[in-house]
Amino acid sequence: MEEQLAELAAKVAELEAAGGGAGVTNTMFAEMFYYVTIPLMIIIHAGFLAYEMGASRLKNVLSSGVKNILAFAFMIPTFYFFGWWVYWGFPTGIPGAPGPAGISGVEYANAIALGWGDAAQYMGPNIVDQASGVFFGAFALFAATTASIMSGAVIERIQTVGFIILAVVLGSFAWVVAAAWGWHADGWMVTKFGLHDFGAAGLVHAVAGFFALGVLINLGPRIGKFNEDGTANHIPGHNMPLTVVGLMLIIVGFWGFLMACVIVPGEAWSWYGDKATTIYGTPITLSALSFNILMAVAGGIIGSWLFTRDPFWMMSGALAGIISTASGLDIYFPALAFIIAFSAGIILKPCADWLERRGIDDAVGAVTVHGTIGLYGVVMLGIWGAGYPALQGAAGDAPTISLMGQIVGAVVFFLLGFVPGYVVSYILKMFGMLRIPEGAERAGMDLVKVPASGYPEWGRDAPVTLAHPAE
Amino acid sequence: MFPYAEATWDVVDGAMFIGWGTALPGIATVIAMTICVVVLVIGQRSEAEKSRRFN
Repeated sequence: MEEQLAELAAKVAELEAAGGGAGVTNTMFAEMFYYVTIPLMIIIHAGFLAYEMGASRLKNVLSSGVKNILAFAFMIPTFYFFGWWVYWGFPTGIPGAPGPAGISGVEYANAIALGWGDAAQYMGPNIVDQASGVFFGAFALFAATTASIMSGAVIERIQTVGFIILAVVLGSFAWVVAAAWGWHADGWMVTKFGLHDFGAAGLVHAVAGFFALGVLINLGPRIGKFNEDGTANHIPGHNMPLTVVGLMLIIVGFWGFLMACVIVPGEAWSWYGDKATTIYGTPITLSALSFNILMAVAGGIIGSWLFTRDPFWMMSGALAGIISTASGLDIYFPALAFIIAFSAGIILKPCADWLERRGIDDAVGAVTVHGTIGLYGVVMLGIWGAGYPALQGAAGDAPTISLMGQIVGAVVFFLLGFVPGYVVSYILKMFGMLRIPEGAERAGMDLVKVPASGYPEWGRDAPVTLAHPAE
Repeated sequence: MFPYAEATWDVVDGAMFIGWGTALPGIATVIAMTICVVVLVIGQRSEAEKSRRFN
């Protein structure tokens, strides 16, 4: 009998040890899951770097690169200093009261997201915290993506420091407020209006796109972009293949971006023990993402090819395909995602042309690809996904997805992007910190700012031609 | 168009995409297939026309 009891006790101990091992494995998996998204999202920046440099003329190629790299570098520490705190502090709005899920509010943010005092234990190496660093990393890379989106639109005439200030306002504040309000279980747009924006079509892309629009209005077009009669010229970049490959790299990075939008199961901070969820606690699978991202990329490319035949717009169409479906990648049917992405690919170029006819010189189409298509994606989910529960979990019941809720979200995202972009760039303009002097712009920003040459042995810019010859 | 009677994720035990249980997925698939074919037809026609100008 005693022997049997001892045997039984040994078996129990063995099972407990095995259970503990499974817990460790899950924790390591969860940590690794988000850790991997970080280098994948850095590929987005490699893509934006190549894309912007390729879209710049020879005389500006390196300064465009410097601007992009610096934006990335400043985004990380500023997001560490205050962006992460803003995200946790204000989901319920101002003044930062705690929400029903118990993971928001200024008091909560003070406890976990500051680089000093007791909160600092969650903002640095900690043997019992295998989540905060990788979550912070993923969010910091979302922030850096917003800055890169704006970066392309303003190439060839913006001052470096002025641009960095704008990038910090966008990446470590404006989009973070949008994320707190619409991408958090306690976010008031989620709990009150049932907003659903799984892949951040509105809160990353639209906010960044319309922030760029606000800046472009104050920045003005590049010299030579528009003729006296108002017609637009096409200013060709120096390396279209580099731009197209850069766009493809952005697509690669988006797999990491969207992967980071998933909450893995089985951890103390997970929504469920056995299934992955969105940031709203609604179920999702990586298979759903694979189906829908691939179909959306394809639909966007095909739609853009139909009327443009231009590889730049085709790859922009691939981005538009993902962005137009990003809000509902968790619940779209793949063929439906394809159709929505196809429609985004079709409207992309006409929307960009419309903006250009209004005197906006968006050098890479960022306002349209990210801003207009981002809002299009948010609203599309309101049409197709109406009736789906927008939230599930500790926060309790929430409204279902509705067209009105998605429209409210779209309007808020537009304002959160456009207003700070316009106001801050206006202030920078007043202080002479927005645009480089005309002489420097004509000479080329590399000559003025960069002690190196992109192509020291050859090269000359292509001639400027009419953007719409039929006019 | 939540495919379950009650608008809660607790009752979901299978397919959860928009249109499940209706004709929508099938219709969307046929439309997507048609788009692919039509785009290729239009593309071939316009490319052939442009190519002929160089003959």
